[in-house]
This record gives sequence, C-alpha cells and structure tokens, in this order.
Amino acid sequence: MATPDHAENDLQPFFVLHKALVQKSVRKSSGSRKIRRRIELSPISAKNAEKMEIGTGEEWDDHHYEHLRMEAFNFVWSKIESTIKDVLRNINLNVFNEIHRWVCESFDAIKSCGTTLTKATHSYPIVTDATFRQLFTGLVFTKNMEFVDDLMTFEELGLHLKSHGCHVANLSSIDFSANNGIGGCLRSLLRQFLMVTLDAADISILASWYSDQGNYNKPVVVIIDDMERCCGSVLSDFILMLSEWAVKVPVILIMGVATTLDAPRNILPSNVLQHLHVSKFLLGSPSERMDAIVEAVLVRLCSGFCVGYKVAAFMRNYFLRQDGTLTSFIRALKWFQIACVVHFSSEPLSFMLKALFVEENSQGFWSEEHALFPEEMLKYAFDLPSCRRNNTEERTGENLAHDLSELKRLQKCWSTIVLCLYEAGKYNKIQLLDLFCEAVVPCLGNSTASNHHLGSGISSSSDHSIHHQYLISEKCSFICQAIRKVRDLPVVLLYQLLKSWEKLTEDVIEIHDKVKELQSLLKFENGKSLKQDLTNIPKRHTSRSHLNMDKDSKVLNEKAARLMETMVRDYMQPVECIPFHEIVCFKNVDKLQSALMGDPRRRIQLDLLEFQKILLCSCCSNSSKAILPSMHNTSILYTLAQEHGDLINLHDWYQSFKSTVFQPSTKGKHKLKQSPAKKRKDTNESQNQSEASIQVRFCRAVTELQITGLLRMPSKRRPDYVQRVAFGL
Amino acid sequence: MEGNYGEDEEFGFARNYFIAKELGGSGKKSSRKLSDIELVDEQELRAAARSIESKHEKEIASLLNSYKSLYPKWVFELRCGFGLLMYGFGSKKALIEDFASTALTECAVVVINGYLQSINIKQAVTAIAEALWDQLKTRRTPSGDFPKVQQPFNSRSMDDLLAFMDGSHSEKNDCFVCVVIHNIDGPGLRDSDTQQYLARVAACSHIRMVASIDHVNAPLLWDKKMVHTQFNWCWYHVATFVPYKAEGIFHPLILAHGGTAQSAKTAAIVLQSLTPNAQSVFKVLAEHQLAHPDEEGMPVNNLYSICRERFLVSSQITLNSHLTEFKDHELIKTRRHSDGQDCLYIPLATEALEKLLQDISQ
Repeated sequence: MATPDHAENDLQPFFVLHKALVQKSVRKSSGSRKIRRRIELSPISAKNAEKMEIGTGEEWDDHHYEHLRMEAFNFVWSKIESTIKDVLRNINLNVFNEIHRWVCESFDAIKSCGTTLTKATHSYPIVTDATFRQLFTGLVFTKNMEFVDDLMTFEELGLHLKSHGCHVANLSSIDFSANNGIGGCLRSLLRQFLMVTLDAADISILASWYSDQGNYNKPVVVIIDDMERCCGSVLSDFILMLSEWAVKVPVILIMGVATTLDAPRNILPSNVLQHLHVSKFLLGSPSERMDAIVEAVLVRLCSGFCVGYKVAAFMRNYFLRQDGTLTSFIRALKWFQIACVVHFSSEPLSFMLKALFVEENSQGFWSEEHALFPEEMLKYAFDLPSCRRNNTEERTGENLAHDLSELKRLQKCWSTIVLCLYEAGKYNKIQLLDLFCEAVVPCLGNSTASNHHLGSGISSSSDHSIHHQYLISEKCSFICQAIRKVRDLPVVLLYQLLKSWEKLTEDVIEIHDKVKELQSLLKFENGKSLKQDLTNIPKRHTSRSHLNMDKDSKVLNEKAARLMETMVRDYMQPVECIPFHEIVCFKNVDKLQSALMGDPRRRIQLDLLEFQKILLCSCCSNSSKAILPSMHNTSILYTLAQEHGDLINLHDWYQSFKSTVFQPSTKGKHKLKQSPAKKRKDTNESQNQSEASIQVRFCRAVTELQITGLLRMPSKRRPDYVQRVAFGL
Repeated sequence: MEGNYGEDEEFGFARNYFIAKELGGSGKKSSRKLSDIELVDEQELRAAARSIESKHEKEIASLLNSYKSLYPKWVFELRCGFGLLMYGFGSKKALIEDFASTALTECAVVVINGYLQSINIKQAVTAIAEALWDQLKTRRTPSGDFPKVQQPFNSRSMDDLLAFMDGSHSEKNDCFVCVVIHNIDGPGLRDSDTQQYLARVAACSHIRMVASIDHVNAPLLWDKKMVHTQFNWCWYHVATFVPYKAEGIFHPLILAHGGTAQSAKTAAIVLQSLTPNAQSVFKVLAEHQLAHPDEEGMPVNNLYSICRERFLVSSQITLNSHLTEFKDHELIKTRRHSDGQDCLYIPLATEALEKLLQDISQ
C-alpha cells in the first residue's frame, strides 16, 4: 500500500496527499447539475427524466441509486433538522420575546438616563454617577448542566434579537480564556460587530463604530452562553471595561447560567457585581424539550422515518444512564442523524422512503412509478423478512406499492394512538419517551385479532423474552398506567381529554367517530351538570344527584378507557409488525451503538488479548489460553503483562517474553526443517542474532504498548519498572 | 453489554486495580535490574529492527482488504457531514491513506502526521485553506465571479482562515477538502488549544475530517461540545495489527537507552574524541570518585591543584574550558557539597565508571 515517497512524507508534519482530480470533478459537477435540473423541474417531468435514465441504464445502476440515496438522506435529514429547530424555537419563543422586551426596556432606560449620548460622542465621558455605570444584565437559567444543549438556544436567541433590530455578538467561554486575556473577547466582539480582525483590539474602536455609523439608536447585546466556564478574572475585567464605557457603548449583557443564582457571585468579585443590574429569565426544562422532540420526530413521524424498539430502548437507556432527567438533545439530534445515515447507507431500498412520504398522493405516484422498479429491487423487497410470509402474493410493483401505502396508513394510526395515550398520560406525568419506547415493542396486543402480521415481527423467542423483561422491569407498563388514569379522571378533565382526542384523531375516521360518540354521550348525560361542574364544583346541592352524577361519569370513564384499550389493541400496530417496514425503520442497534460511542479502552485491549478473533489465523486459534510464539509480539507481551501487578519488572518481563518466543514446540519444528549440520555451523552467530532480534521485538512491542497508552515508561525513580495503566477491560 | 453495564463494571475496575496493587506490593517484588540482561548494543539493535520479521502478513493483508468494502460507506458518511474516527490496535496510517487516495479522489486531501513531536497547527491550517482555494478555483464555472484573495493565506489570522473555510463558496455543499489526521491524540496535537483549533476546523462547512487514535484515553481530549457539534465523530473499530513503524519512529528503544552500559559507551565515544590532556583530567576526577564512592564529589579547587601538579593544565581557565566541554556532553555534573562548596561528579554507577576507564585507557 505504501509507496516509496510515503517514507519521506512520514516525517512531514503535514502534506497534501493529492488534489482533487479535475477530470472527475467535471463529471461530478455535471452530475450535480443534473440533480439541480431535476429539482427545478416539476415533479412529473422529473419523474419522466428519471424514467428515461433508468430506461437507458437498463440495469440496476449503483451510481444512480447512490445518488438517490444521498438525495433521500438530505431530504429526510433536512426535514428532521428543521422540525427539531422549529420545535425548539417554539418552546423558547416566549422566553425570547420576554428577553427582547427587556432589552428594549433597558435600552430605553439607558437612553432616558443620558441625554448624554450625543454629548458623549465628543469626548471621553467622565461619569461620576454610579447608576450610569451599571450594566443591564440578563441571566438566563438553562436548568441544565449539559451546556452543549444550550449552545443552539443562545445562537437562536442571538438571531431572534438580530431580527428585531439589535446588534448582537455571541461569545463563549473560549473567548474568555486566561491565555488570551481580555484581548481575546474584544477581538471577537470587533469581529462580529465590525467584521474586521485587528491585532490591537481596543474598545475605543467599538465606541467610535457605535457612534459614527448611525448605529446608536439600536441596542448592543452581548451574549455569553456559558458564563460558569469563563475565566473569572477575564470576565470581570471585561465587565469593568464595559461599565467604564457604558455611556459611549451601552452594552446589554446576556449570560447563560447552568447552576443557580449564586453563580455570578461565585465567579465575580463584589466590586464587579455592583456594576451589574440583573434580571432573570428561565428556559424550559430539558425533559420538556426532549418530549417535544420525541413527539415531533418519532411519534408524528415528520420524515416518515422511524426506529425499531431495540433502538428506542437503547436510546432511552442512554439518556437515563448518562444524565438522568437532564437529557441532552444534541445527543438525540445526533442519534437520529446517525440512524438516518447508517440506515440509508446500508438499506438499498430506503431511497424509496422519500417518494413514499413526500408525495401527498402516494397512491398515484406509485402506480405510475412501480413499473420502473428493476427486477432485482422487487426481488430484494419481497425477500425482506417481514414479507416472506406472504409467499402467495405476486411479486409485482403494484403489490409493493399497495403494501407501502398500507404501511403508511398503519403508521399514521399508530402515531395517533400514541399521542392520545400521551394526552391521557400527561395527567399522570408520564413522559412521552417512555410511552414511545413501549409503543414500538412489536408484540404488544399479542392476543388480539390483529396479530396476523405478528409472525414477521417477532419470530424468535429471544425477542419475546426481551420484551417480557422490558415490561416487568417497568413494573406496570406506561400504557396501562395511562389507561388506568383515564378511569380515574374527574369529569372536567375527561371532557378536556376527549376534546384533545377529537382533535388528534381527525385523520383516522373510525376512531374519530367513536370519540365523537363518546363526547356526545358525555354532553348528553351530563348536559346540565357539566356546565355546573365546569364553573363551580362545590356548589352542587344535593348529595344524591352528586352521587348519581359520579356514577354516570364513572361509566363514562370506563367507556373512555375501553375505547382507549380497543384503540391500542386494534389500531396501534408497532411498525415492526408491518410488512416492508425494513424500508423505513431503523433497527440495527449494534451498528448505532458502535458508531455512536467508540470504546477504545476496552476494544484496544480486546484486540491485543483476543487478536485471533480478528485476524482469524490458523496458527494461533488454539482454544487453550496458552501463549504461542506465533502470536503477535505485542499481544504476547500484553498477555504476559496481565500476570504482573501495577508495576512490571522489565527484566522479568523480558525473560518471560524470551522464553515464550523460544518455546520448544515450534523450535522443534523449525529444527526439523533445517539440516542439523548447517544449524550447528552458525549457531553462535544465529544465537547472537536471535538475541538481537528478540530484544528488538521486545522493544517494538513495548513501544507499541506505549503508543496505545497501556503502559507508562520507566521513571528516573524506578528505572527498571514500567507501570501498567489499564486494569481490566 | 446492554443491561448490566453500569455498576458491575465500575466495581470491576476498582477491584482489578487493587488486586494489581496488591500483587505489586505484597508479593516479593522482583528487584532484578535491566542491566542483568545481556543487552545487545544499540547499533545492532537498530540493524535488527530493520530486518524484523512480521507475523501474520497474509491475514493482515486480507484484514485490510476486508475494510475496503467499507469505503463507500465511509465516503457516504463524510458527505453527510460526519467525521470518521478510526481506532483499534495497529497502525491505521496505510489504511486511511489508501482510503483517501482511492475513494476520495474528488476532493483534495491534506494529511497531518499527529504522531510527530511538534506540529505548527497554523501552518497546517494554512495548507488546508490553500488546498480548498485551489479546489474552488477549478470548480468554478468561468462565468462565476469569484472574489480575488486579498491577502496571501500565510499572513492571515487563524480566525480569517477558519471563516474562509466555513464560508459558503459553492451553492451545493459538495465541495470539501478532506483532512486526514494520523494520531489526532499524538504528542504534537495533544494540548487543548490545538484540539480546540482542530475542532473548529472540523466544524467548517468545507472540511471533512478523518482521524485515527491509538491511545486508550484519547476521548478525554474532547468535551461534549467538540464531540457532538464540531467533530461529529462516527466511530469505527478498525484493528489492523500493522506495526507502528512511522508512529514509533521517535520512541526510544527501551533496551537501548538508559542502561548503564549504554551511557558508559557513549561517554567513551565522547572522551576518545577529546585531547589526551582532557582525557587525563577526566581520569583524575573518575579515580577520585572511585576512591571515595561515598563523597558527594570533588571540589573544583582540589581538582585544579591535582591537575596542576600533574601538568595537565596550566591555569584555571584551561581547566574550565575542559570542564565546560565535559558538562556539554553530560559527562560530569555539579552539585552543592554539604559545606556549601560546589563539587563535580560523574553521573555513572561505579561499575560503569570502571568499564569506562578501561575503555579509554586501552
């Protein structure tokens, strides 16, 4: 693999391996033009273009599908991304507006304080009045230690304020490092406000920018997203400087705080604190945001893309194990992203996803398009495990198209019901993530009539037992809890619940009708008393009618709960029970896990200790644990190291290495091959040589262990020992 | 691994640690010295290193070959905006470069050798920016007006370079430079400032990153912001078992350095290149040290008077020039005597010193 000139490059700190190939780039750019054209065209003619391409391509053209897959990914991911952004923005919108109002008020206060602004533009302001030197400071409490989650929030806040006509600069703790000092944050400020980079950053430049360019009728806002991680001394210098210049550049500070109200007091000295005029704002809690994202992305299926139950469980565990209820949705965001990528690059059919879920009238689309599926793809589709049971079905594009639209319909039902459950669960503080994880488990409703699809989803008994465990571990399932809650709801809440159900089920007519029926029943039976109930409960006069009404409503509760149960049983079909779900559903939890979190500490040690499993060589795959001389040198050495304590005596280690390498068994073999006479002749020389070669192998192996960080080299104090670093996998 | 991952594992770690500690402490600690091994001398060792036979060549080759099937997937993930992080035992240098030169032909590839001791990150980033600039120039259709570079890249600030790489220069986001970093956890890149810069480079819209790590604790270099929003790693376990040739090039061979025999040998080589008078001065000091092994060293005055008596030096100045030479080659060192006097000593063990005297008097 290595060419000779590589050896030289090995010693260069960096080098250009190759430049972009011009020829290829031409081909590529023409490819991208093709895509662009396709996008510009109306959908129907685009389809025709595609048809033509496929027609001329004759066969399963990898390159073509690769393109489609990439497009599908971009499509799905951009949709998910924008959905998540919208969800988060909506959650934060109220706070953002509140902050904006406060910024405007503060700015007005500053302006009214000084008729000074015009005056101040002339000379350096000498202010004696302390109130002039106060900085309006907004502390935004994130309620979340994971500051990564809030990076985007503060970015959005910046954009929000910018769009409302403020000058905004976003700073982070990196700008406030002790290394760069105050120059660092000033440079960053100037960069963002003036779009210039200056070596000699000075706030007077900012001041003249503010007064010169007619900028002075807009507030200047500086956002620091993670105040607690800033270097305290730099931050206090910064605040002191701003307050000194407060008249010329009235900066309004916004700082993100992850912990408590004490945070500024812990970081800043009191002489700095007295310059801050503090207001407080609260962001939504992480679990709220998490639920909103789960709802939009996974339950409402904004992209048509979903995850299997194992993946869901893994994700949930990861959340809980990592940081309890403080969830980080950047992580979630990345999960979905990775899930999409992994899915799209491993499932040849998933590019159909796009077509399946973009087109509103999917039926029409498919009937037009299905004829174009190449034979191989149809074969692939009908060989999917979820579909194999239906051997009788004809393998035509029409059937595929029909099944796919059926899949879409069933998913719609499923998501509606999960949302209904969530509405009920809200009264019991059930989180959507929990409900969701349960709702995707494939053998729910095992005993019902709708299980004719089930054979596909859970064929193996191990799956079943996993599910069983899952339910037991949850004590009682969240779905049961939600339904039980329906039984216990007071009339008022039941009324509200039905109302929300009515709204949710609009698209699923069968359920919608039943909900309506129930609603009218509620209105009918409690026609008069309900109104009373809604206005003032304690005023109900006779205890008898009270009792009666109670009974009536209990009946209604029961009915609603029944309805819920039927809904769960008949309509909530987890996606893994539906044929062709492989196309839209990502199930491979191992892949996800390995892509998401590497485990170098464990894996590298395993590589060394069980290298046979990876190399699959015939010579070392002895099942016994004996160390064989044919093994990889570093493996031998590391296996030997396991027998030592935290310190390894180099001498002993070397001796055992040597004796391992010189094990009699293989030596015997070697001897047989060589003629004894010749052997004897150069024994002396070869012994010397082999001594050198063993020593050098030992050295190499030690170096390699040092590179992997599994060893610490001898110190001056202990020149004959190396230190082990890792104990156990 | 899913279920009982948490507590058991953690206790396991602790338990293993203490067991290991105990093994080291209570068991009779072997006190044998490295010098007890009959060490081959360094040159021979280096020669042997060149001809070291590699094991399992066939299996390693087929293992590397098997990773080739992952190439399209890796390219796909890079295009989707991920970084690739390769880990697992064995040098991944050849694998990654092979991947880059066969599968990433459509973009420029800049390689950074993180295993080297010192890397100027600014220069590396400049090179990346230049590569991107070249690529953008060739991609551009003639009609498109492209802003001229106002300033050569090497005089721009880091922030400007990063802004250039993060800008939107082409309407589709398909024009990128791939940065390959061998050993992003290597000694030259390990400090946190450099890692911050690398993270910011990785986050640029026109940059994709492929990196390898070898150290088991490498993930500790990054905080959550870097991992989740900047590097955006996709992990790949690709053990190769290829020897760390380039990576280990600056690591001293453990059996070749530090051993007393070795330092005596180098001392002899230095001494033999000096004048006979200088050698004799050194001998005076050595003999004194051998005669008084418990003393802290020989006061400079004493040395001067003895050397003068033997007509080795004529003045303090000539003695000092000899001493400076010795010090430069670390043949002697000074330390403060208990009565406050500076005195000289040779930092070698007694046996080594004897051997040295033998060597130079031959």
